[in-house]
Amino acid sequence: MKELMRNVYLKDGTLVTKSKYGSHYGEKVFDGFREWIPWRSKLAAMILKGHRLKLKGDEKVLYLGAASGTTVSHLADIVDEGVIYAVEYAAKPFEKLLELARERDNIIPLLFDASKPWKYSGIVEKVDLIYQDIAQKNQIEILESNAEFFLEKGGEIVIMVKARSVDSTAEPEEVFESVLRKMGERFKIVNHGSLMPYHKDHIFVHAYKSE
Amino acid sequence: MKYNLWFGVYDGKEVKLSENFEESFLKAENPSPLPFNVSELGMQVLGESYYRILRKTALQVSEKQVERELKREDRYVVALVKALEEIDEAINMLNEKLEDIKAVKESDITESFESKIRELRELRKEVEREIEDVMKKIAPNMTELVGAKIAAKILERAGSMEKLVRLPASKVQVIGAEKSLYKAFARMRKGKKAKIPKHGIIFLHPFIRTLPKTKRGKMARFLAAKLAIAAKIDYFRGEVDENLYESIRRRYEELRRK
Repeated sequence: MKELMRNVYLKDGTLVTKSKYGSHYGEKVFDGFREWIPWRSKLAAMILKGHRLKLKGDEKVLYLGAASGTTVSHLADIVDEGVIYAVEYAAKPFEKLLELARERDNIIPLLFDASKPWKYSGIVEKVDLIYQDIAQKNQIEILESNAEFFLEKGGEIVIMVKARSVDSTAEPEEVFESVLRKMGERFKIVNHGSLMPYHKDHIFVHAYKSE
Repeated sequence: MKYNLWFGVYDGKEVKLSENFEESFLKAENPSPLPFNVSELGMQVLGESYYRILRKTALQVSEKQVERELKREDRYVVALVKALEEIDEAINMLNEKLEDIKAVKESDITESFESKIRELRELRKEVEREIEDVMKKIAPNMTELVGAKIAAKILERAGSMEKLVRLPASKVQVIGAEKSLYKAFARMRKGKKAKIPKHGIIFLHPFIRTLPKTKRGKMARFLAAKLAIAAKIDYFRGEVDENLYESIRRRYEELRRK
């Protein structure tokens, strides 16, 4: 068994996180580990594509677009001594996220619109990492305003970009280029790459706030 | 400067602790980033149990919000769409009357008419924005496929999300074209030739509207099938399925090229 990141291992070719909790979205659970399915979670895909995050486990994380908590559940395994502020606007998946939040004590569920960070500005503290997976046209603007409110200098950013939701008519390559250019104006980009074959026409971008 | 925090109000010197955390949690709005860290200040006031209380409050607030939203939001959209149609009619009617008056005599009253019409147009925009906001929340997949406006109109015709998810795709395809559909059925019963409508409200979608007539039926059938699936995902699961939009776009391009 190979350790890839804090609490993240490769066990007989399967990505897993160390966890004392049960299954959340139908993933397999075996003696203290939960299978992390890359087709379901873009963060898992990013790790399998070879990009790692340096996490110590006590980080404060702002998670935008938490959906039903598939990725959140694994991130909560990783930052087991930290706190995840999980923002999701759609009530239906949020129900499932709530189930997860009731079971874990390091998840704060927030039913808010991520494009209006001022609405939760008196709740969310300054964070070490913003993770964003919201398939929306203005996702970079949403990231920027949240970074302005909650991310300190040196704070990290991981976002998942879906070409089709930024511009459904342009070629994915062009979309990614313009996204990277836009992000580069405000943040320092550490790495980026495709999530093939797990997620088509998606890239991850890892950056940090320099000024 | 006054800062609204989930556990109270801070004036820069002292924290006035909230009597009801659930209330202050929903009012924790500030126009710009806080110049301090809310958790550090909170721990000075609430001590070690800061995160425990925050989490408990967030869970309680969220549970109530979810329950409220899932129960009533679709009926809210239905009411809004109906209101929107009335507003449209009112605008049209006022416009007509205004033209009538103008044709006879230019007077001060025409100015009042115009300002009322402007106001109604503002109201119309507001209602549209609200519909879009709510639709994104309760029907993200339908909204992604056809836009909030068309999705809301279909929902209005169906009556509620619960009724909508029980409709077959073939019904979704012609929803909004009932009059011509039943007319066609009546003719068929009499053994006459009949034109069955190919599309109802979904005709408003650019993927159908921009195709040549002979291909619109195919596209409408495909779009309605995906829309029926989208409604079911929205109602039962709520997560966005990224393949749906992609599939209708591909089908559209296929039809356009042929």
